[in-house]
Amino acid sequence: MVCLQLLTSEESCIMFRVNYKPSTSHWIFPPIIFGILGFLLVVMAIQRLLKCRRLGKPFFAFKNYHFFVANWDKVRLIGSLVLMVLYFPSMNLLGFLPASILFVFMFNVLFCGVQQLASIPVAFKTRKFWSNRGFRSLLISLIISVVSSTLIYLVFGKLFKITLP
Amino acid sequence: MMESFTFGIPQLLMSLTGVMVGIIFGALPGMTATMAIAIFLPLTYAYDLNTSLYLLLGLYVGGISGGLIPAILINIPGTPSSICTGFDGFPMTKRGEGLRALRIGITASLIGGMISLAFLWFFTPPLSKVAINFSAIEKFLIIVFALTIIAALSKGSLVKGIFAGFFGVLIALIGQFADNNKMRMVPDMFKVDLRMGFQLLPVLIGLFAVVQIFQEAEIGMKEEHQSTDLSSQSKKFSFKDFKGQGFNLIRSGIIGTFIGVLPGVGGSAASLLSYSQAKSQSKHPEKFGTGCVDGLVASEGANNGLTGGALIPLLSLGIPGDSTTAVLIGAFMLQGIQVGPLFIINNPITWKTILLAMGLANALMFIVMFYPIKHIVKVINFPKARIFPVIILLCTVGSYAVQNGNMFDVWTMLFFGVLGYVMTKFGFSVPSLLIGFILGRDLEKYFVDSIKGAGGSLGTFFSRPIGNVIWVLIAISLGWAFYEEHRTKKRARLAKEKEQ
Repeated sequence: MVCLQLLTSEESCIMFRVNYKPSTSHWIFPPIIFGILGFLLVVMAIQRLLKCRRLGKPFFAFKNYHFFVANWDKVRLIGSLVLMVLYFPSMNLLGFLPASILFVFMFNVLFCGVQQLASIPVAFKTRKFWSNRGFRSLLISLIISVVSSTLIYLVFGKLFKITLP
Repeated sequence: MMESFTFGIPQLLMSLTGVMVGIIFGALPGMTATMAIAIFLPLTYAYDLNTSLYLLLGLYVGGISGGLIPAILINIPGTPSSICTGFDGFPMTKRGEGLRALRIGITASLIGGMISLAFLWFFTPPLSKVAINFSAIEKFLIIVFALTIIAALSKGSLVKGIFAGFFGVLIALIGQFADNNKMRMVPDMFKVDLRMGFQLLPVLIGLFAVVQIFQEAEIGMKEEHQSTDLSSQSKKFSFKDFKGQGFNLIRSGIIGTFIGVLPGVGGSAASLLSYSQAKSQSKHPEKFGTGCVDGLVASEGANNGLTGGALIPLLSLGIPGDSTTAVLIGAFMLQGIQVGPLFIINNPITWKTILLAMGLANALMFIVMFYPIKHIVKVINFPKARIFPVIILLCTVGSYAVQNGNMFDVWTMLFFGVLGYVMTKFGFSVPSLLIGFILGRDLEKYFVDSIKGAGGSLGTFFSRPIGNVIWVLIAISLGWAFYEEHRTKKRARLAKEKEQ
């Protein structure tokens, strides 16, 4: 009853009103979204708290927590992030085509396995290049990097006139 | 300027290229139609929208269809929408009927795609006509409804799904507010780059391509080479295989279309629902899972049915039906075309182009896949380690080109790649984030327009009958989602206790 009276009274209607002013209208909606996100964070925390209580586990359990999958590939994951971070500014320094050829080659080597780099001295020593599996893989990486970068440069940059880095 | 309807060799070639590239993306586990469209979206700068649509819709149809190849041959669905295809397709391959299973799947895909196209054709215009009468209030509520459905049906926790959606909305609000041209939530050092907020293309490339690359790198880019030899076949394909499958095909196509209409439900649900319906209504349910044609037809008919269905809410309400159409919305936005109730009236040529491009993509998919399938199956052994470097290159070019050459957008792509990767680790839905991001600005616009018209009263959101119906739908969808989540958790707990 009290609630109803409150809801129908004019003072309480202020609670269900938004003061609209064109000059400050850009700050009407963001606080609402912040409020919803804050509320959802609290709900998630309560859900976790209840779950932890039921299972008898602590709320913050860092001991057995694993962010990455078991036996995650450190070289490939961290390597791909590092190469991307280096690739973008290198385009400004070297130009699109040389930087792309270099980095697509490095991505190929990284993803196919960096151990193939060990085949370089062996291949030159034995003078067997294509028949050496590791060195052949490096050559394929080189071919892919040159062909794909040049093709994208010609098709996107020259044919379609798309702005390239 | 009046737009003109053009169809010729370039459009046909665009569609063919789209279908072929889409099939490759669909056939490679870990790559999806969504990723393919995100990467090829920058080509829309070079062509007009109508020509680009042949490529993009070709990628969509090809991407969904290609998923059946690994599902049937190696029991690994190439896309989530082929999840049930392997249940009966793979047993058929094991008994030497792989080629027959593939051709049955391809034919069912064609029919499912055509059924959904018919629905798209007939139902989008009337739905748009209804939606034209919607005020800002109903439009606001429709977006809230879409966000709750997407969150409710996203994998994992419901609350996390809703959180991801609203987090996407918050990211969309960064930058200048159109009503008063004032900036908000932008650090001083990014005032120039973030004036118009984050650009859609780098965000979606980051969320769908870069995240995938990080996930594959984390597990070491493992390649599973499988035998794709289809030379010795014990039973050949015949169109007689479809005898008695008419009802199953139509039902599956309709289920797929219906699931496609629901925002965010996705192809896996279409495939599962259609498969379970076919099984429950079959006279021989025990044959399902042993290489039964009915199961294969149900799954493939439904997942291609999804393609047309997902476009219905996109074109009539401006709400993407799934993550792929969320990316497709980017193509329209890049060309400055607003999808929504007025889309068909304002862009009749584009609407006709969509219908033609969808029909053509389905027909080309059938032609490209049906006869040369023996050779196409080899694509599943393409090494991902060789493809991903080229994808990184394409992603970089695409992001850079958004604003005619801005390195900030390339960093945006990487930022959202890392953000999406971390969010996935904590169980937050990336598609929910993206759809929230796409709809965020509209959500704010309709909210502000609604309260402006009502003198600031929030009661206005309960003042219209259609609006109240949408409120009820929001409540039902949330209630149902909470109930489902609770039931699933209870079942899992009971199963765990039983095991112990």
